[in-house]
Amino acid sequence: MKTTCLTALAALVLAGCAADDPKLRLYDNNDLELAVGNAAKMTCTCRFVMQMDEAYCRDWVRASPNVARFSVDTEKKVVEASAFIAWPARARLIDDKRGCVLE
Amino acid sequence: MHRVLISSILLSATLAAAQQCRSRASWPTEKWPEALVNPTAKAAELQALEASLFTLVGKPEERKGYRTNGLVVVKNGAVVFEKYARGWDATKRHLSWSVAKSVSSTLVGVAVNQGLMSLDDSLCKHLPEYANDPVVCAITVKHIVSFGSGLQWQEEYEDKGYQVSSVIAMLFGVGHKDQLKHVLTHRKLREPGTQFVYSTGDAHVVGTLAKRALTAKHGADAFWTQLFQPIGMKDVVVEEDAAGNVLGGSFVYATPRDFAKFGYLMLNDGCWDNTRYLPAGWVQAATTPSEVFRANRGDCSGQTLPANEYQLPCESTPNGFMWWLNRPPAAGVDKPWKDAPDDTYAALGHWGQRIIVIPSEDLVIVRTGDDRDGSFPVNDIVKAVLPVVKP
Repeated sequence: MKTTCLTALAALVLAGCAADDPKLRLYDNNDLELAVGNAAKMTCTCRFVMQMDEAYCRDWVRASPNVARFSVDTEKKVVEASAFIAWPARARLIDDKRGCVLE
Repeated sequence: MHRVLISSILLSATLAAAQQCRSRASWPTEKWPEALVNPTAKAAELQALEASLFTLVGKPEERKGYRTNGLVVVKNGAVVFEKYARGWDATKRHLSWSVAKSVSSTLVGVAVNQGLMSLDDSLCKHLPEYANDPVVCAITVKHIVSFGSGLQWQEEYEDKGYQVSSVIAMLFGVGHKDQLKHVLTHRKLREPGTQFVYSTGDAHVVGTLAKRALTAKHGADAFWTQLFQPIGMKDVVVEEDAAGNVLGGSFVYATPRDFAKFGYLMLNDGCWDNTRYLPAGWVQAATTPSEVFRANRGDCSGQTLPANEYQLPCESTPNGFMWWLNRPPAAGVDKPWKDAPDDTYAALGHWGQRIIVIPSEDLVIVRTGDDRDGSFPVNDIVKAVLPVVKP
């Protein structure tokens, strides 16, 4: 009886330790959402913070899957991106100290 | 009595010496002086440096090999080598990626120097919206500038599944609108201060802590008025999320020459032109393996965990306050950068961003790049630069 109790206690302790171990966490992101967020934010900073040209920035932000399509409004300093006409993302330049924000 | 008096005087003198700033003939606040390496006398060394850092591989769209965008070398307070490539020049700000972490921890140092923050403060003192969260309140500033928040974090990038990465979820996914909240709602993995976990999330929190402390006294532009402008970093950009949290783990932008000024501040013990911006002893503490790192640097058992569990990397490069150090990570293990002096420390970022400081050589090296095929090793940069700057 005593052995059974000790075994059960040990099992409980081990279970408690295991619960503290770093289980893998998965995030609720789909790849398209990430792709357009990346395209909008990084294109905005590439063009308006780093001041690189359009061709450089298109290559620089290219990610896999390469599905994001985006437009740059150089007057308003805004970049809008989407994938398959859905998953819209928008980034804009705040000012010359705080750069771009992904809205 | 006399002995006590003499001890007090000696102690005061020692403390005063520690407080004092190193004098320099001039400071590059307005502009870096230039003392370019003699191209004839150092022809072979320069050729080797350029071959190592500026040789491109394959077609640009293949993104192969190391792709250096800029290299600035500062020796004895003057620029001795500078070169740009791939459309970059001295006027363009470059993305820091994780070099930002070292900037953020240093901004905390500025706040500590001004008495606006203490390393022993609870995070809740500066983030009052978390005052009822015991997990957050148990974390101190010192824990988090040492990557020791104890929060679960999966520091993965584009080479792993996007759904596994805490970073990508934070920057571009479910957490992007309020990135402080994204970080601080992760569960506690270990007690604060007991486990080193390299975390862009921790660094974001550090940047926001610095912002809260400094802007409360100095206004919205405090980073610029209290550090960047006084040391001549004229065009620094520090990005924020839509909630106003500082993205201090990833998104700082500056020209390579301005990043060199940041390295030069560290090289000069946190002083600039006879003004102390970091507390006496801060640089020493920031560039010594932290208590957190020494306590537990990750899973170094060599055992592989089941696929449904996250394996903390075994970190082989020691870390202080978000600075990487050329020290052996443990007894019987080699230092990480074998050709670099022992006192070398560095701010390191994704795709090969580097600020390397070598006090014994009075040397700062800034390398910007776009390495998508493995980042340029620190050791190889130092190995290529040292022969060029040796007398």
